[in-house]
Amino acid sequence: MSNDFYKTSILPFSGIIIKLCRGYTNSQEDFEDYYQEVCLQIWRSKDNFREESQWSTWIYRISLNVCLTLLKKKKKKGQHFVSDSLPAEETEDNYAFSDESLNLLYDAIRKLSEIDRAIIMLYLEEKPYKEIAEIIGTNPNNIGVRVKRIKIRLKNILDGKIN
Amino acid sequence: MEKSIENIWKEGFLKNDALVAPKINDLYNQKSIHIIDKFKRMFRINLIAIVAFAFVFLIVTFFIGIPIMGIMFFVTLMALVIINKKLLNGLEEIDKGSNSYQYLKEFNNWIKMQVAINKRMSTFLYPIMFMSFILGFWFKDSEGSLLGKRLVDHIVLNFPDLYLIFGIPLIGIVIVVLILSLLAYFGGRIYKWDLNLVYGRVFKKLNEILADLESLRT
Repeated sequence: MSNDFYKTSILPFSGIIIKLCRGYTNSQEDFEDYYQEVCLQIWRSKDNFREESQWSTWIYRISLNVCLTLLKKKKKKGQHFVSDSLPAEETEDNYAFSDESLNLLYDAIRKLSEIDRAIIMLYLEEKPYKEIAEIIGTNPNNIGVRVKRIKIRLKNILDGKIN
Repeated sequence: MEKSIENIWKEGFLKNDALVAPKINDLYNQKSIHIIDKFKRMFRINLIAIVAFAFVFLIVTFFIGIPIMGIMFFVTLMALVIINKKLLNGLEEIDKGSNSYQYLKEFNNWIKMQVAINKRMSTFLYPIMFMSFILGFWFKDSEGSLLGKRLVDHIVLNFPDLYLIFGIPLIGIVIVVLILSLLAYFGGRIYKWDLNLVYGRVFKKLNEILADLESLRT
């Protein structure tokens, strides 16, 4: 991947890539793998970008698809298992933000289903419902309802943990 | 008052350490080392499987009275294993410290050399195997005489006009020579087909990574 492409076309959006990758990983090593794979896939697929959507939307879509694919691969290998009904895998100690509340929020997000994680992270990034729906591939009306439900779920998980 | 999740998110990411992007530098190195290690592992397993098969086959042929086939198979396969083991040792000499492109390129060159040598050997390998099959049964003991001899006697009895060379029907020799020639001619292709069956996916992956790396260099 050329340095120029990375600097001009990926780095400005690295924030959301990092945030998304963090939502699907529990260790620094996994996070770096996911981040690198996302960047690589963006670079590989750049010729397929047809300007039907914004570049940023397209990047979010790739990031999400790569994260979901890698997560599936890991589940198949039995290295990782996160679902609605089972507790999330322990997060490594050295894989933490300096902000404790943010760590707790991420731990709660990791307990959600894969799609709910994506929806809430895009919502927290203040993406409009229409764009979230476009990235996920669903109806914008459903997103609003889903966001409300996810927020209630997160609130229940975080209840009393954050002041 | 409890913070909203929106505020936790916003404030948390205001801190400098939260959004540090990892360096993009090692992915291709990891992938290339992984793919070569995978190939080496498969190659080694393949060689061990050939050795095991050669021994088992040798023992079985002794028991069923066609030891010539077993011995010929064994010697041929052992020669194949020894040559390929030597080739594998050459693979270990590729410097893992070189950059991904060089590393994969050298590996690719090694593959090409390995395929070329094995293709050449296949020109002899398949005909030898076929001959070992024919000779194995020819010299099999059948009620006190050779199976081949009994078969020829039986044929000559039914077709007395058959032309014989050293006691073997000419038509039989022609058919065997024809099959040997075909096997020698198509040996390389059979080997390539066999190779793709076992290592096709690894080679495909290798070509993809090399194509990626080459496009990076242009």
